[in-house]
Amino acid sequence: MSILLEARGLVKELGGRRVVDGVDLRCAAGQVVGLLGPNGAGKTTTLRMLYGFLRPDAGRIDVNGVELGRDLARAKRSIGVCTQDDTFDGDFTVEQNLTIAATYFRPRPEDLGRRVAELLDRFELAPHARQKPETLSGGYRRRLMIARALVHRPRLLFLDEPTTGLDPQARMGVWDLVDSLRTEGLGIVLTTHYMDEAERLSDSLTVLARGRVVAHGTAKVVLGDLVGEHVIVLDAAAAPGVAAWLRERGRGEPAGVLGAWHVPVSGEELADFARAFASLRYEVRVPTLDDLFLKLALEP
Amino acid sequence: MSWLVAAVDWQSRAVVGRHLRVYMRNWHTALLPPVLEPITMLLAFGVGLGGYVASLTWQGHPVAYMTYVAPGLLAYATFMTAIFQSLFGAFIRMRYQRTWEGQLTTQVELAHVIWGEVMWAGLLATMYVALVAAVLTSFHAAGLVTLRLMWLPALLPVSFVAACAFGALGLCFTALLPTIDHMNLPVFLLVLPMGLLSSTYFPLEHPVLVVINLANPLYHLAQAFRGLLIGGPAAAPLAGVALLSAIMLAVLVPLDLRLLRRRVLGE
Repeated sequence: MSILLEARGLVKELGGRRVVDGVDLRCAAGQVVGLLGPNGAGKTTTLRMLYGFLRPDAGRIDVNGVELGRDLARAKRSIGVCTQDDTFDGDFTVEQNLTIAATYFRPRPEDLGRRVAELLDRFELAPHARQKPETLSGGYRRRLMIARALVHRPRLLFLDEPTTGLDPQARMGVWDLVDSLRTEGLGIVLTTHYMDEAERLSDSLTVLARGRVVAHGTAKVVLGDLVGEHVIVLDAAAAPGVAAWLRERGRGEPAGVLGAWHVPVSGEELADFARAFASLRYEVRVPTLDDLFLKLALEP
Repeated sequence: MSWLVAAVDWQSRAVVGRHLRVYMRNWHTALLPPVLEPITMLLAFGVGLGGYVASLTWQGHPVAYMTYVAPGLLAYATFMTAIFQSLFGAFIRMRYQRTWEGQLTTQVELAHVIWGEVMWAGLLATMYVALVAAVLTSFHAAGLVTLRLMWLPALLPVSFVAACAFGALGLCFTALLPTIDHMNLPVFLLVLPMGLLSSTYFPLEHPVLVVINLANPLYHLAQAFRGLLIGGPAAAPLAGVALLSAIMLAVLVPLDLRLLRRRVLGE
């Protein structure tokens, strides 16, 4: 698989604060890389540097073999971007949005009329081709944003929270599109807050916290490294002694959700816990990316 | 100097092309202001005020008031069109329509967006001037004004350069003002005083204004248009327009880039 994106040592300060601190990231053709992290982790800033919107203070980004800092225009020819907020051109219709977006690329996309028709069909936008984008539903707006990002046939696609605010059906429609684009060999970097989305779509996850990469790999590897093998769920009010048991192991208070504690533990710790609290009622489940977010959010 | 090179990059032309396409789609409504404004102004100032003034002396020659006002109208149209486009039009595209953000995800960079806005202000103002000139030609044919019509085409490149400079000035405010309501500040503190105190509609010979107007490109523009269309010294005011426009562009475009980098990119 050819490497389409390679970023090394990215650093960015905004407003005197280091928001991205030494981030490395790679994406190959036909691969979806999920960029995760709690709010303020530096995901959007990292993404904006990767697609050339922001200049990194340090580090290097190569896109399809072209160093972004040296030849931004050439590197951006290989990039398609779907921003978190709708940034389509409200002065034009759906179809014209695709045509006008193509004018911002050189070399111009070949056979543009056919390309636009193909995208309208594929994204089920053909019946809305002559409508203004603001008249579309949320799901179709997202479709337009992704179609626009593809009009010049990029090799690498950036999706910044592509399904935020969509209903479940529209979300699954976007998932299908992302999956089919991956199959066609596009490299895709996406950020999301939805854990199920990240797990289902991503071949590999990069987790950011406070501007740094804290884990990288498949969902299973990332969870094992950062959270643990199991999560014990118990009623916080009915758990005397558990806080002390955690403190003995150098752990702080666990994440509390609706009066329940969610305690990530290793297999060995689970066995210890079972011995120490034999009469306590609790549930053991596999960790999810939600546990990871809760853990990262609680860390100082 | 990469900011200067960006002016001739294809991306800046693509941005202008986008604005032109939007304008041409709405040509029937967009055509009204440049056609109706000079008619209204000539009627209000020329016939109304002109009824009291009748004629005045310009460069030692008696000139009918309507004839005096006509070149001023062209200079005023250049200034107002460019500055309002870069104030309100650009602000709406930046803040509400998020057109800039969409453009910046492509091969277009911020310097191209800025030059695109500046040159669009220049082009739009030039188109307006051409339309106002057509209306003035009909006034000339009707005997209401007396102009040297052969010089009308020469106004267009002058208008374009000056309007680009005015556009760069407007973009500074677009970069600085937090909301569209704050546009009242530049409009009432700068645009209207500058528009009216530049000898556009009436000669102003107060010594303080004369000194201030030496650094006022709109004053030089009005004088240059008057010199060309009525007959009089035009070389010096044309040089003034060229020099002041060049200085404004050299200072304001890098400033716009710096201010908008902070505002749009957060850097």
